[in-house]
Amino acid sequence: MNHTRITAIALCAFGAMPALAEVESDEPIIIVQNNWTSQLVLSNVLGQMLESKGYTVEYTPSDSQLQFSALANGDMHVQVEAWEGSMKAAFEKGLEDGMVDAGTHDAVTREEWWIPNYVLEVCPKAGTWEGLNACADIFKTAETSPKGRFLGPPADWGKNYAARIEALNMDFVAINVGQAATLWAELQSAYDREEPIVLFNWTPNFIESKFEGQFVDFPEPEPACFEDKAWGPNPDATGDCGAPSSAWLKKAAWSGMAEEWPGAWSVVEKMNVNNAQIARAALLVDVDGMSQEDAATQWISENQDLVDSWLK
Amino acid sequence: MSSDVKIRCKNLWKLFGPNPARFLQDHDGNPSAEALEEGGYIGAVQDVSFDVHDGEILVIMGLSGSGKSTLIRCISRLNDPTSGEMDFDGKDLLNATAAELIEIRRHKMGMVFQNFGLLPNRDVLSNVTFPLEMQGMGREAREAKAREMVELVGLTGREANFPGELSGGQQQRVGIARSLAVDPDVWFLDEPFSALDPLIRAEMQDEFMRLQKVLKKTIVFITHDFEEAVKLADRIGIMKGGRMVQMGTPEDIVLNPATDYVAEFARNAPHERIITLRAIMSSDRVVTDVPPLNARDLIGDVARQVLSSETPIAVAHRGKIVGSVGRVQMLDGLYGPEAQ
Amino acid sequence: MSQPFQMPRFLAAPRLLSPRLSLAQVPLIWQFAVIIALGLALSALWGGALRWPEAWVIPMRGWITRFFEWLGEDAGIGSYKVRDLTRFLADLLDQPLTWAEYLLYRGIRPLDLPPLPWVSIVLGAAILGHWVGGWRLALFSASCLLYLAVFGLWRDGMRTLTIVIVAVPFAVSIGLWLGIWAVRSRRVAAVVSPMFDLMQATPHMAYLVPVVILFGFGQVPALIATVIFAMPPMARCVILALQTVPPEITEAGTMSGCTPRQLLWKVQIPAGKRILMLGVNQVVMQTLAMVVIASLVGATGLGQQLLTSLQQLKLGAAVEQGLGIVMIAIVLDRVTQAWANRPTDYAARGRSWRFRHRHALAFGAALIVSFALAALFKEASVLPKRLTVTFGTQMDEAVRWFAKVSYDYIQPVRDFITVEMLIPLRDFCLAVPWVVVVGLVGAAGLRLGGRGTALLCMGLVLGIVLFGFWEPAVLTVYLVFSAVVICVCIGLPIGIWASRSPRVARPVMAICDTLQTFPSFIYLIPVIMLLKVGDLSNIVAILAYATVPSIRYTYLGLRRIPDVTIEAAIANGATPRQRLFKVELPVALPEIMLGLNQTIMMALSMVAITALIGSRDLGQEIYRALPTADTGRGILAGLSIAAIGIVADRLIQGWANKRKKHLGVG
Repeated sequence: MNHTRITAIALCAFGAMPALAEVESDEPIIIVQNNWTSQLVLSNVLGQMLESKGYTVEYTPSDSQLQFSALANGDMHVQVEAWEGSMKAAFEKGLEDGMVDAGTHDAVTREEWWIPNYVLEVCPKAGTWEGLNACADIFKTAETSPKGRFLGPPADWGKNYAARIEALNMDFVAINVGQAATLWAELQSAYDREEPIVLFNWTPNFIESKFEGQFVDFPEPEPACFEDKAWGPNPDATGDCGAPSSAWLKKAAWSGMAEEWPGAWSVVEKMNVNNAQIARAALLVDVDGMSQEDAATQWISENQDLVDSWLK
Repeated sequence: MSSDVKIRCKNLWKLFGPNPARFLQDHDGNPSAEALEEGGYIGAVQDVSFDVHDGEILVIMGLSGSGKSTLIRCISRLNDPTSGEMDFDGKDLLNATAAELIEIRRHKMGMVFQNFGLLPNRDVLSNVTFPLEMQGMGREAREAKAREMVELVGLTGREANFPGELSGGQQQRVGIARSLAVDPDVWFLDEPFSALDPLIRAEMQDEFMRLQKVLKKTIVFITHDFEEAVKLADRIGIMKGGRMVQMGTPEDIVLNPATDYVAEFARNAPHERIITLRAIMSSDRVVTDVPPLNARDLIGDVARQVLSSETPIAVAHRGKIVGSVGRVQMLDGLYGPEAQ
Repeated sequence: MSQPFQMPRFLAAPRLLSPRLSLAQVPLIWQFAVIIALGLALSALWGGALRWPEAWVIPMRGWITRFFEWLGEDAGIGSYKVRDLTRFLADLLDQPLTWAEYLLYRGIRPLDLPPLPWVSIVLGAAILGHWVGGWRLALFSASCLLYLAVFGLWRDGMRTLTIVIVAVPFAVSIGLWLGIWAVRSRRVAAVVSPMFDLMQATPHMAYLVPVVILFGFGQVPALIATVIFAMPPMARCVILALQTVPPEITEAGTMSGCTPRQLLWKVQIPAGKRILMLGVNQVVMQTLAMVVIASLVGATGLGQQLLTSLQQLKLGAAVEQGLGIVMIAIVLDRVTQAWANRPTDYAARGRSWRFRHRHALAFGAALIVSFALAALFKEASVLPKRLTVTFGTQMDEAVRWFAKVSYDYIQPVRDFITVEMLIPLRDFCLAVPWVVVVGLVGAAGLRLGGRGTALLCMGLVLGIVLFGFWEPAVLTVYLVFSAVVICVCIGLPIGIWASRSPRVARPVMAICDTLQTFPSFIYLIPVIMLLKVGDLSNIVAILAYATVPSIRYTYLGLRRIPDVTIEAAIANGATPRQRLFKVELPVALPEIMLGLNQTIMMALSMVAITALIGSRDLGQEIYRALPTADTGRGILAGLSIAAIGIVADRLIQGWANKRKKHLGVG
């Protein structure tokens, strides 16, 4: 943290006015880091851009949900990747508490059931939910037998796959993992042995550069899917649809940022990436084995014009 | 031996139990054994009174559980007596403030413990300097003094050793050096040699006597070993069940045991090292051609001479013939009177 | 004569003819049968006896959450908020952290100076090692730090070191202070010691949410959480150390004229140093154990990098980062232990000033040289990536290869255990009505520890029911029970084996140390690759950590048997087998039971980690509480784990005490 804050709080304690700098400040801008690659690289891209403008930058790791309250109260200052699929609720809570929405990227995100391509060799129609359901038994495990196993995201990621399975009458059981790393460990193990597996995945992330596979298509959701039983494949149930195939990816920031570092704020507002650029950022680390810092430098040099337009 | 009283204890009580002070008060300061048992109290020290004279070695002897260790801890104020009076150099010790006590301990008392009580983290030298350090003495001065003490107890060359690296006897020498470092007036020794092997023990006893000859401290010495008591003591106090059963010179105790309990110890005592000629001589004032023996001689020292002499030998006290001793008296003295 | 007279127990006349005695004469098995029958009957009549109705759950969880929200946001007097106070405190704690950061990796900002070059820190470690422990320690410390540099973990290692070198002194001094206070005042002891029980039995993660609410995010909250977790073992060791100083040593101090303060600092604390240093060792280990978890609330460094590596499935990198944490832990531990055992350097007394200050001078020289080097060559200030090595990819390949070839052998076993043993056991556990559990715990408590124990145990179980954590608690007990059974089956034979020969003992103990310092998160990935998501994975993950006390205490218990006892057994013609089963194991039983106790505690603390694999137990509740800032959920789930631990502890201790009395020891 910082000295001004101490002074400020000490002053508060003695009844004086809290003083925030009114001009551009030397105080470090704290960029939130999460634990997936594209976010780490883009955080470094932003950090390097801001440093080039003379700001002091610090990186602080955070949980993907708790970060928004930290952004709301000014413990941290900016987040470059906020995902609709997994963070919508916490993001909106953050907005209520005083965090600001710093704009939406061009990139769209998707979170859905996902299969490695070798599954298609034994179950050619697995790319759609009906086709997948038809060969559910190849996905069975000792616990789920005779049904197939769907390896779902952590239980609190705001998705009730058990309900969807029931709504669509699928022969699957959803087993929730505790964290993303668990998903990838299972995927790695199955992939090496070409064992059929269907699991939760999202894009953009590093998985697509390491494993070949595809999302399973479900009925595209509409509001009616959750209100009208008659809508969708199952006339007797609501929720018989998939997740949106294009969800937003936003930036978020501390409300005081525009005031304390106006120049930095404008960079954050202008920063905007698309899916290919995010995938490239992740690939530099996950496939080429660069460090996040080096990858960010590389990414900036590959996208110099874009970066210059943000810095203007 | 001077008769100045260094420590005076009067009606000392130490009870262990739920509320000892109150209990003692309720029983007019003198509860009976039954009352103690009924109340769930243990009378570690019961109504003990005695004086310690300047320069004497007073040995308190008793078996384990007799209260002797509690007694010495009362006198040194490591434990607070439940009731009684205690003077040290004519000063009321029981009502001394904490600060006064610290002063007294820093300058006037030294204590040696059964299991040495050495500080395991300090080497020999700094164990010995410890009490001086507490006094606030400067490092040069206290180390010089400590080296002197280390030399006195014969541990020169071991200064940098840690207690764990020393034998039991050596550790106790450190304990002795430490307790003497402040030049105390009064020296408490709580079973100092009990944890040592018999051979070492004898050696340490001799060492102790040698030291005392030089130092002439006032000493309270605790032991459970009657032989050790008679060897070292000017006077012996015998404790049993928290009470002082008898107190007197070794000879006194051996010759006139107050109870069967004391007699039991006395019987097995080495008479030849305790009894003097005066106690066994007959009043016949004979005149012999050999020079007369001194009435204060231990019988063991002259036994060979008396037993090899055909006739009794005269015994003198301050140059005057006071009686004589012959084979019969000597044998009685050595082995006790013939059974009748 | 150390404790001259203690009132014998029998003097406090027991009321021999109380009616309770008649209950105590009914065999426990019959009591159990009656309780089970009554409980089943009751739950047949009333469903609430099986599952406490949702509507009747005491909404404590919401109250706690709202209380902390209020505390963090609004509480205060007038315009002075609790929040301001905690933030002020946080900024105060930030000072030492900031300076450590400046020195170690950030550079002294206000003075515009660079951070210490890595060369200087490695040399510094060597000089420090030589100062406190001689050449071997010097070499050891330097190579551990060199590992960080060579494997490209320098910056993150220094970030971690920053928190650790600030947290350890904090935890040690607070623990020391609390411990002394508790020894001096019985009233303080009565408050503090059950609090420590509770704190240690509550998993680390449960502390995080309230800490975040009150202190926000970043290094400081991570520091606070670390100190809170690492402090109790220190305080406990202080209490134990001061209480076990031989009375004669204290008396010797008093007779040397010590003031109470001198007595404490110059006599009792040095005399209890061995146990105190055990406390310091525990603080170091616990601090390092918190490194990974603290990164969940914003600690940077190796812990954060390790979690990121795991998310990216870079197991090898995570192992290297985990080893980095172990290196820091070992160096700190060895250096503090050596420092404590350092003999007085009499040899130096008479020597020149230059000789006496040779280490400080050497460090000064090292600083000058390394800054000069750093100015000339960039490599000396920060080792560039091209000069570092990593075996991450190779390790990943190896693990994948192993998973692939062994999968076909392991999978049938995994399926068998899961389907035939674990799932039936789990279903059984879930089917037991809570009234039966409360009754059984009460009856066992009454028999083993008396009325107080019975009431405490029943109260704790009832609390879990009333606050709505029954089902996760049952799943926790099921996991922990299964794991502990296996731990004992593994730990006991290994402990016995190690006690037979020092050749075995040395490597076994070294492995135990490593297992306990190595961040447990890393085990999860290979476990999942081999065993898939499921209860068996959870159990195996617990095993890796919780077997250690089983081994260690069995070993210690057997080693501590007096030689005469064993010689007597041999002289009586016992065969080795008879010796083991009839003499050694029974004599060592109290220690072995202590090991069991510790195993259960470790297993319970690992439950929070298994949440990362995927479970429905209390660990999951705690883990889930963090992202949603649901303080009530986190704290109550944490306390439920603590409650399970305390019940197990009391029952086992009660049993062990009875047993000891039976053996006539203790």
